[in-house]
Amino acid sequence: MSEHPDTRDLLGPYVMGTLEPYENREVEDHLQGCASCREEAQDLRLAHERLADLAYGTTAPPEDLEARVLAGIPRRRAGRRVPSWVAAVAAAFCVLAVITAFNLLEDQAAATLNPTGRAPDAGGEVSLRGTGENTELRLEAWGLPPCKSEQYYELWLVEGDERVSAGTFTVGESGRVDVTLNAPNFAASYPRVGVTAEYDKDPRASDAKMLSGELHDL
Amino acid sequence: MEGLVSCSALRLAPDHWRGWDIICSEGTGGSVLAGGRGRLWMDRVKDEVLVQRVASGDERAFSGLYDRYAGLVYGTGLRYLGDRGTAEELVQDVFTSVWKSAGGFDPARASFATWVYRITRNRATDLIRRRKARVRTVEGEPLFEPGETDPSGDLSRNFDVAAALSRLTPVHREVLVLAYFHGFSQREISDRTATPLGTVKSRTTAALRALRETMGFDEDRFSADE
Repeated sequence: MSEHPDTRDLLGPYVMGTLEPYENREVEDHLQGCASCREEAQDLRLAHERLADLAYGTTAPPEDLEARVLAGIPRRRAGRRVPSWVAAVAAAFCVLAVITAFNLLEDQAAATLNPTGRAPDAGGEVSLRGTGENTELRLEAWGLPPCKSEQYYELWLVEGDERVSAGTFTVGESGRVDVTLNAPNFAASYPRVGVTAEYDKDPRASDAKMLSGELHDL
Repeated sequence: MEGLVSCSALRLAPDHWRGWDIICSEGTGGSVLAGGRGRLWMDRVKDEVLVQRVASGDERAFSGLYDRYAGLVYGTGLRYLGDRGTAEELVQDVFTSVWKSAGGFDPARASFATWVYRITRNRATDLIRRRKARVRTVEGEPLFEPGETDPSGDLSRNFDVAAALSRLTPVHREVLVLAYFHGFSQREISDRTATPLGTVKSRTTAALRALRETMGFDEDRFSADE
């Protein structure tokens, strides 16, 4: 972009009052003869005033306050620590129950996952079943490179620039995964799904796209 | 079932997404709105989407909403309740209520910004009642009294603008946050973001334009709801 933007590009800093005096004169001269820029300046001034009001009414809270809030909220799925064998039996039962329940739920949408250059032999299927609180998403994938230490994969619901994580998983030497995830009840509204390889603690989707596909209604 | 995870990303450990910056990914400062931390993964994800995830127990989505509104709730507390301790209590009350009541939020009735505004106003009123004292703003102006709504509408409007700001692209939001919440000049923003000054100016214009368009959309929709 140019180091010397045209007058219209200066309207934002103009309404904020942050232009150099010579730029200010230039803009004012221009506005006298340009009705559309005058109208735009009026619009921008409204946004400026609203934002200035918001800034005035906003103060950064103490850094530890969020941790205190989180510590005080009741967890929706809190539970007592139980013996490991009980947990193992319960987990197996839950997996069975999830599989059974999943098979009873009605299909909503599905996607065939296509590989990228990072894993040309990979593929997969995503299916979305159920409604409301019982919406579930099943991912079956194969041909994925086994996860190295600290690496994992993440499944995303995608629309334009928006990425909403639908869950994470790892794969072993087989390169296969078959996983059922709780899905938000609006998951079917996303047009695409994708899988990325993640290596760090950054919660954004990485650039390492492994699989992607279009979600279509059934 | 190799690689099975029995739950979604909702239950990742908190440390998984912390310690980085929503506005300036190169470490040039944090969002005042957010108290210095943020979660880029939910950039441009609508409040209404996040609150639905909160209803299912998603702490990341909860933190995303905290980032967007905690500074405004805290600022409201300071302004209307007069001291930091009570303002912090307001933030805790409001966000605990958001967590507990997220399942009852109905986006067809009101935006999340309107909803959290109402919670803030009601909790502030409760705190005033609890203290049984007439509280004044730091400027000495009388507060809204118990039962009285935000008479000027300023507070309500601020929540709507915060919602609109959260919907901008990261680069647009960055330039506005640095200018309005950090008080940086266009030249300082240029230096801090390693962006040509001319680009900063035109980007500021584009960002204000985008904000205006988003606000316009919201205002139309909200007035239709009412």
